[in-house]
Amino acid sequence: MRRLYVGGLSHTVTQNDLKERFGRFGDVEDVEVRTRMDDEGVPYKTFSYININISDGDLKKCMTLLNKSKWKGGTLQIETAKESFLQRLAEERQTAAEQKGLRQPKAEDQKQKVLDSLSKAGVENFTMKAAVPGTEVPGHKDWVVSKFGRVLPVLQLKAQKGSRARTLKYDPSKYSHNIRKLDRAGGADLPTPVTPVTQLTWEVQGGDDDISKKRRGEFPLYEPPRRKKGRADAGSARDAEGAARAKPTVGSAPRAEAPRLANGREAATDPGPARREWPRFAGADSDDEIRRLVAPQDTSHDALRQEEDDDGDKLEVVGLDYLVKSGRKGGPDHKDENDYDSADTDELFASRKAALPPPQERPTPRAAAGNRKRKLMKKKKKKSGGGEEEVEEEEDDSSEEEVFSRKPPAECSSQNQSKKMRVLPVVNPPSSESDGSEEEEEEEEPSDCSDSDYEAMFSNVTHLSISLADLQKLAEESPQTPETRETTAPSVLPPAHKKGILPEEILASLMRDDPRKDKLKERIKAPPLPAFKGTRALSGGEERRPKEEGGGSVKKQKLVEEPPPMNHKATGSTINGRDLAESESSEEEEEEAACEVVKNIAEAGSSSSSEEEEEKRKKKHLTAQPEAAAASSSSSSSSSEEGQENAVKAAKPPAAPDSESSSEEEEEEEEEKKQAPPLRLPLGAKEEEERQRKANERRLAAVQQRQKEADEHKQLIQGALSNLDAPKAAAGKHIVFGSDDEDERQTTPKKTVSRDGRSEGEATVGDEETAKGKMCPKPSVPQLFAGDEEEGDEEEDGSRFDIKPQFEGRVGQKLMELQSRFGRDERFRMDSRFLDEEEEEESEKKKSGTEEEEALDEEKKKNLSILQDVLGGSRPAGGAKTAAKPKAFRDVSALHYDPSREEHAAFETKTDNAKKDSKAARRKKREEAQKLPEVSKEIYYDVSGDLKAVFGQAKVAAEEEDVVPAAEDEETNWDREEEAEGGGGEDEEPALQSSLLGADPAAESEEASGFKFSFFEDDAQTGSGETEYKVESIQAPKVSWQQDLRFPDSSSDDDDEEEQPEEEEQEQPDVTAKTTEVEIPSKPQLFFFYCDDSRLTEGPRSFCRPSHLEEQREQWEERRTELREEYRKKHKDARRKLRSSLKS
Amino acid sequence: MRPLTDEETKTMFEKLSKYIGENIKILVDRPDGSYCFRLHNDRVYYMSEKILKLAAHVSREKLVSVGTCFGKFTKTMKFRLHITALDFLAPYAKFKVWVKPGAEQSFLYGNHVMKSGLGRITENTMQYQGVVVYSMTDVPLGFGVAAKCTAECRQVDPMSIVVFHQADVGEFIRNEDTLT
Repeated sequence: MRRLYVGGLSHTVTQNDLKERFGRFGDVEDVEVRTRMDDEGVPYKTFSYININISDGDLKKCMTLLNKSKWKGGTLQIETAKESFLQRLAEERQTAAEQKGLRQPKAEDQKQKVLDSLSKAGVENFTMKAAVPGTEVPGHKDWVVSKFGRVLPVLQLKAQKGSRARTLKYDPSKYSHNIRKLDRAGGADLPTPVTPVTQLTWEVQGGDDDISKKRRGEFPLYEPPRRKKGRADAGSARDAEGAARAKPTVGSAPRAEAPRLANGREAATDPGPARREWPRFAGADSDDEIRRLVAPQDTSHDALRQEEDDDGDKLEVVGLDYLVKSGRKGGPDHKDENDYDSADTDELFASRKAALPPPQERPTPRAAAGNRKRKLMKKKKKKSGGGEEEVEEEEDDSSEEEVFSRKPPAECSSQNQSKKMRVLPVVNPPSSESDGSEEEEEEEEPSDCSDSDYEAMFSNVTHLSISLADLQKLAEESPQTPETRETTAPSVLPPAHKKGILPEEILASLMRDDPRKDKLKERIKAPPLPAFKGTRALSGGEERRPKEEGGGSVKKQKLVEEPPPMNHKATGSTINGRDLAESESSEEEEEEAACEVVKNIAEAGSSSSSEEEEEKRKKKHLTAQPEAAAASSSSSSSSSEEGQENAVKAAKPPAAPDSESSSEEEEEEEEEKKQAPPLRLPLGAKEEEERQRKANERRLAAVQQRQKEADEHKQLIQGALSNLDAPKAAAGKHIVFGSDDEDERQTTPKKTVSRDGRSEGEATVGDEETAKGKMCPKPSVPQLFAGDEEEGDEEEDGSRFDIKPQFEGRVGQKLMELQSRFGRDERFRMDSRFLDEEEEEESEKKKSGTEEEEALDEEKKKNLSILQDVLGGSRPAGGAKTAAKPKAFRDVSALHYDPSREEHAAFETKTDNAKKDSKAARRKKREEAQKLPEVSKEIYYDVSGDLKAVFGQAKVAAEEEDVVPAAEDEETNWDREEEAEGGGGEDEEPALQSSLLGADPAAESEEASGFKFSFFEDDAQTGSGETEYKVESIQAPKVSWQQDLRFPDSSSDDDDEEEQPEEEEQEQPDVTAKTTEVEIPSKPQLFFFYCDDSRLTEGPRSFCRPSHLEEQREQWEERRTELREEYRKKHKDARRKLRSSLKS
Repeated sequence: MRPLTDEETKTMFEKLSKYIGENIKILVDRPDGSYCFRLHNDRVYYMSEKILKLAAHVSREKLVSVGTCFGKFTKTMKFRLHITALDFLAPYAKFKVWVKPGAEQSFLYGNHVMKSGLGRITENTMQYQGVVVYSMTDVPLGFGVAAKCTAECRQVDPMSIVVFHQADVGEFIRNEDTLT
C-alpha cells in the first residue's frame, strides 16, 4: 500500500473524483482531501492524500500519466507521501510491544537461572542456613554467605585513582555487619498500617487564630475587595456560605487539604480558610465603608497626589506665552475646581432655587394667593366703607394676626427687597394650595403626618416653601381641632415666623409697593382670584369633609389640589374680565359668588376651619396691607359675598397685568402650564365641574391672549433692549429710567400714596373699571413688562429710551451725574447753565493740575529713559535690540533717491562740482574741437601748398586711420577725455618732446615718430595739413576699412593714445596725429624697410600659420582636456559645496 | 517722600527688570492714570497720582506707608524687593515657576524650591533669572531667583534647589510688623 500526495487540485474536487481518477491504477483504500483556507475562509490550496494499493509499475504509470497534468483547472502534482502519522505511530507501538515481549523474558530467565542455581546449591531466598559466614556458595563462584546468613555476591570494585590496586574486592562476609532484617523488628511489633509519605502530616499546635493558621500553611484566599451592594444581604449570604463551609470542615480532618488551601482555589471546600474568611470579610466591610466614606474627601487629595507623582516623573516646561488659564486646565487645578463645584453645589442649588424657581413656578400661585387677600380686603373696604373696625376685630381674634400685623413696620424698613422677593413669601401660603403640582401635594401629606419629615424634605427647598408648609399645616390642623386651633395656631406659627424672615420682607416689600404704585396693587390684585379659589376649595372641602376627616391626610391633598383649577378660572376671568363686558364677568361673578356664598355659609356655619383659613389669609392680607386691613372682615360676615364678588371683578383685571409685570413671559407660560395640570386633578364638587369647564374655556382664551401679549412684550423688550444697546446706552440707561414718571415715583412716594388713596376712593364708589383705568395709566417700574394698557405708552417708551440732548456727550454725562445726585427729581433739573461753572472750575483745576502733571510727566519721561538705559544695558535683547534692528535691516533695494528730500542729499555724489567743471571744460573742448577743423583748414591750405605729394599717397593708408578715429573720438569720447585729461596733460609733454626729439635724428624710443617729424620737420603743419587733406578726400569711403585695418596694427591702447593726441591737436593737431600714428608701430624703428628689417620677417608670419595645423590641433586638444578637467573639478566642488550647505 | 534720583531709579529698574523685563514700562506708563515711584524711609512706594496728592498732606514723620511698597534700598544702596510688590510682578512676570501643592507650604515658610517641588517652569529660564513662583492653581506665592536653568532643572536630583527663595506671601504673616 502506498500513500500518495496529490497536490494542485481545484477546490471543487471531491473524494469520489479522486477515487475514480486513481482507481484505474490500483485499489484506492482511502482518500483524504484537505483544503487550506485563509483568514477570510477563502480556500487557496487544496490537496489530498490517497492510500492506494498499487504496484510499482502502476505507480510509475500513474505518475507519468497524471503528474503535471491539468485536471479541473489545476495542475496535479503527485508524490509519494509518508505513511500517515497515525499509522506510523501504530506501527511504532506495535514494534515496541513486540520487542518488549521478546526482551523481558530473557532478563527474567537469567534471574530465574541464578535463583534456580542458587536454590540447587541449597540457598533459599538468598539465605543459606547453617552456613558459617564466609563460606562460598557451592556452584557459584563469587557468592558468599555473609554474616547474617545471607548470600551475597563478592564485588569487584574499581579502585579510586589514588590507590595502587586497580580493583578492590569487596567481600560482604567481612563487611556487612550493618545489614539487618527489618522484618524481624517489624515482626516483633504489631504490624503498623503503611501510610504513604504524602499522607504523613505534621501538626502544628495552635489555635484558630491567623498566625497559627499561617504557621500551618493555611493562608486566606485572596479576594479582591468587593463593592458592597445591599450590604446586609451580602452579609447574610456570606454568613450562610460561611456556615456551609464550616460544617464540612468540622466533620473531617482537613489537615491533608490544608496545604492546598495555601495555594488558593479550593478555599470553598476548606473549612479553615472559610472560617477565617468570614471575619475577614467583616473587616473588609468595615474597611470598605470607611473607604467609601473617606473616598469623596480623599478623591481630590488622591488626584492631587497622583498628579504629584506624575509630576515627579515629568517636569513641565512651559513656554513664555504660557497663560494662567491654561494652567487651570491642567489636572490638579481642574480637579480642585471640580471639587469646589461639588462643594458649592448646595450653595448653587440654593441660590438657584432662591433665584430661579421661585419666580418661575411659584410666583403665579403665590402672587395670586397673596394678592387676592389684599384685593379682597380692599374691595371689602370699598363696600363696607369703614372696615377698619372689623379689621381690628379680626386682629383680636387670633394672635397670628398680631404677629403679622407687627411685621408691617419691619417691612417698611426693608423696602430694598426686590419685588420678586415680596411676591414669593406672600405667595407661599397660597402656593401650597394653588401650586397644584402633585409633588408638593405629596410632600404635604407626609407633612401632615410628621412635621419633622416634612421639614426635612423641605429643608432642601427654599425657606419660603417651609413657611408655606407651616401655614398649610395650620390650615389643616384647624379643621381637625377647631377648638384648639387658636392655641395651636400660635405655636405653629412661630416656626413659620422664624423661617418667614423672607415672608416678612416680602410683606414689607409689598407694603412699600402699595404706596409706591398702583401697578403693584394690580399685581396684588391678580392673586386675589386664587383666594377665591381657596374659598371654593374650602367649600368643596366642606362637602368632602366627612370623608376627609375619615381619610386623614387625603382630604388635605384634595384641598390642596382644588385651588389650582380655581386659579385658572380666576386668571381666565381676570383676562376676560377686561375684554368682556360686565355681563360675562357678572355671570362668572354670580357663579363664583354662589360658590362663595356656599363656602361662606359653610365656613360660618359648619366649621371654623374654613374660617380659619380665610382668616389666616386675611391676616396675611392685613399684614401685607395695613391700609387694606380695614376691609378684611368680609370673611366672617355673610354679606361679604358681594364684596368678594366685587373683589373678584377687581382682581381679574389686575391679575393679568400683575402676572405679566411680575416676571417675564416665560414665567407666564410656565404658570399656564402649571395651571393646566390642575385641571386634570379631580374636582371636588360637581357643580364646580361645569364652572371649571367654562373657566377652562376662558382660561384657554386667556392663555392665547396672554401669549399674544407675551409676544408683544417680547417685541417691546427687544425694541427697548436694542435701544439700550445703542452706543449711547451707557449714559442713556439712567436717563431712560430716570425719566419724569420714574422720578416721580421713586422720589415722591407721597404722591403715589395720595394716588392710591384716590384710587381706593374710586374703588369704593364701585367703579371698578375706572379704578382699573387709573391704575393702568400709572406707569409701573418695569414698564416694559406692563400689560396692554401700556402698549399705548409704547411711543412714549420709545422716546424715553432716546438720550435727551442735554445729556449727550461728556458734559451731558456730568450733568447726568449732577442731576442724579438729586434723585433725578424734576424739581432739580439741571441744564447747561449748571455746567458752565463747573467747566470753568474744571478748567481752573486743569490749569492748576497741569503744573503737577507736567512734573509727573517729566518724571515719567525720565523714568522711561532710565528704563531704556537699564533695559539696553542689562538686557540688550530687549526693546533696544528691536529698535536697533530696523536700521540694520534697511532695504537697500527699496531705497530710492528722492531729490526733493534733504536727507537724500547724502546720496548725491560730490562729483557734481567736478562735473560742472568738466562740463565747462567739455564745452570748451567741444568748441575747440569744432573750431579745430577751421583751424585745420587754414593750416590745410598752408600745408597743401608745401605738401609732398610723394608721401601723401604713401601715408594715406597709415595716417588716415588715426585721423578719423580721432575725429570720432572728439565726438563720442568726451567723458573719457575727462578722465584721461590728467594723463593727457602729461602725455602732451612727451609728445612735444618727441616732436622736439623728432628733430634730432638720434631719437631712440620714438624713432619712428622722430623720424617722421624729422622728415617733415620743417613743415609740421604741412604734415598735419597733409593728413587733413587726405582725410578730406578719402574720409567717407575709407572709414570703414581703415578702422578694420587699424585693428591689427594698433593695440588696445589706441583710444588712450589717440585721446592724447587730440589734446595736442588743439595746438598741433597734425603733430599729435602723427605721433599717435608713429607710436603704434613702435617696434619697427624706421618707417622704411631696411635690410634685415624685422618687419619683413615678422610681417609674413602673420600671414601664415605659426605652426602646423596638426600641432595647433594637438595644442588645442591639450588645452581642451585641461579646460574640461578644470571645469569638472569646479563642477564637483560646486556640487560638494551645495551638498554640504544643504546638509547643514 | 521724594521722587527717586536717577541712580535709585536705575538700580530699582534693574532689579525689577529681572522679573518683569521691559514690562516695567507698563508700570511707569499706565493708561489708567499716572503712577509714580516715591522714596520714603528708604522704601520705594508705587502709587497713583491721586494718592500722592493725598499723601502730601501727611508729614514725613507721621507717614508710614503710601501706595504699594515695592521694596527698600539697603544701606549699601542696593534695592531689595518686598513681597508687597508681588501684586505688580505677578501679572507681568516673564519667567514663572509653578510649585506642586506639596511644596507650597515649604515655600511659604521661606524655604527654597526643590526640584521635587517643582511642578512646571517656563522654558528658557536662565540661571539666576528672577522668577515668580506660582502654585499649581496659578496663585502667585512669591518670587525668587532661578538657581538652575530650565535644562538643568530637568536633570538635577530631586533634592537640589531650583529656585532661591526671595519673598513669599507667608511674609505677610511672618513679617507683619515690618512690612509696609
